[in-house]
Amino acid sequence: MTSRTWSGRVLTGVATALILAFTLFPIYLMVSMALDARANDGKRKLLPTDFTLDHFSFVLDEGNFATYLRNSLIVALATVVVSGLLALLAAVAVARFRFRFRTSVLILVLVVQMVPMEALVIPLFVQAKDLHLLDKLLGLVVVYVAFSLPFAIWMLRGFVAAVPKDIEEAAYVDGASWGRMFWTILMPLVAPGLVATSIFSFIVAWNEFIFALTFMSDESRYTAAVGLREFFTAYGNDWGAIMAGSTLITIPVMIFFVVVQRRLSAGLVAGAVKG
Amino acid sequence: MPNRQSWRAWLLLAPGLATLAVLLLYPLYRVTQLSFQDFGLRELNLGGAAWIGLGNYQQLLEDERLWQIVLPNTVGFAVVNVALTVIFGTLVALLLFRLGPWMRGIVTTAIMAAWAVPAVTGTYAWVFIFDSRRGPAMRLMDWLGLADPDTTNWFDDRLTFFAIATINVVHHGFPFVAVTVLAGLMTVPKDVIEAATIDGANAWRRFWHITFPTLKPVFAVVTILSTIWDFKVFTQIYLMPGGDGLNREVLNLGTWSYITSFGQQEYGLGAALAVMLTAVLLIITVLYLRVIFREEEL
Repeated sequence: MTSRTWSGRVLTGVATALILAFTLFPIYLMVSMALDARANDGKRKLLPTDFTLDHFSFVLDEGNFATYLRNSLIVALATVVVSGLLALLAAVAVARFRFRFRTSVLILVLVVQMVPMEALVIPLFVQAKDLHLLDKLLGLVVVYVAFSLPFAIWMLRGFVAAVPKDIEEAAYVDGASWGRMFWTILMPLVAPGLVATSIFSFIVAWNEFIFALTFMSDESRYTAAVGLREFFTAYGNDWGAIMAGSTLITIPVMIFFVVVQRRLSAGLVAGAVKG
Repeated sequence: MPNRQSWRAWLLLAPGLATLAVLLLYPLYRVTQLSFQDFGLRELNLGGAAWIGLGNYQQLLEDERLWQIVLPNTVGFAVVNVALTVIFGTLVALLLFRLGPWMRGIVTTAIMAAWAVPAVTGTYAWVFIFDSRRGPAMRLMDWLGLADPDTTNWFDDRLTFFAIATINVVHHGFPFVAVTVLAGLMTVPKDVIEAATIDGANAWRRFWHITFPTLKPVFAVVTILSTIWDFKVFTQIYLMPGGDGLNREVLNLGTWSYITSFGQQEYGLGAALAVMLTAVLLIITVLYLRVIFREEEL
């Protein structure tokens, strides 16, 4: 439906431009300052004048950011694998089987999804301390699996349910066992959903801040999101370094996200609206 | 084979449910238990804690800061941000719906990019934009003669602090609303809209009489989810200058709970605050569930 009148078209154009400016300005500022030799100059222009990669090499070499990024990557990948596996099994159970308390399980998953991570940081910190999981990447993985799991189950359930039952039944008629049907029929069809869910879990783990801040006191165990704080000092903020670090954190996630946007939003809508 | 079926289902569910039980349900119980205890650094290191009943809650309810600073900050911020996020997101969705496929693709991609910005780095970008000395916003206001960078620090004042946080949170939150409402708009039957247009209904009337009633469940869902997210906002406040407890005027339930626990080592008191936050969120969740269950059976 396009606007019919000339003024309507101008209005649409202006609104579109304003929205693009609002959404992209912080991202533009982040990347352009990361690449600007004059990033810390109070008189710098919005358009970078001196192009440089110095901020990146500074944060990676002297700022320990390579270590922080590696920690973040290990934690995020481990979270993706574990939560993807657990969620897939659970999603198949609730989407494909009829059993007593099935609805109760679904309600439980929905309710725990709403439990704020922020409210559980105190008991989980005490638990992690008792189990000697503080200052260990494993401690964060365990927490992130728990927090990405409810949403992953909820989303994958939609993808599993979307696979027509006839295909499964045809496999049984051909004499396949349940396990064989699962791996050769269901898995390939659910794979796109699994990719979308994995990216969601990755983002949860990659972006998380409070637990990473609370659990890690040893600097060599910082994740990137927490390590960024090191560039804020009492002597002034090194904005070039902050923006370079921010760019390194933001851009991979952004590319992931934009690539899977359709699947993710379809899953969100299916999960949120269709119940 | 109903028996075999349910046996297999529970086997598939077991690892996931066990994880949720140990890492979400048990801590939920534990935080409630802690909120009834005098649990400080000593108890953390040596174990054991004295049961003080409602002592922590009593202390909090008698604290002026709860009523004058923390609750207004939390509730006011959530109300304003939910309203702005939902309205702005809906307007963007309506705009996207009017655009041609090519422009729609570009704007959707930009919105997704904004959505993908982590709370941490997004907050730093906005903090820089409003920075007293170098921020583009301050330099613009200075150039317009509306603010003096030498005497103005927007992060010191409660109202401007939360105004900046609002821009940050709306920027981060509106993409979800826009994308979800757009998906809903696609399902509104075209012929009904066309019939209304022929009958002379303008865009405003068409929205309130056709689109809104049809998409009511969608709006309910985005409103409730945004409410939950904005009530418990932590990172975006904590990482702003003064938000980590330095400026007592800008505390909300989440940051106060965190600072009480990990700054002052009063874990019991912090847990009581966390329980209050969770209780509010659970009430909103119940509303959310009722909306979903009214729509369709699971």
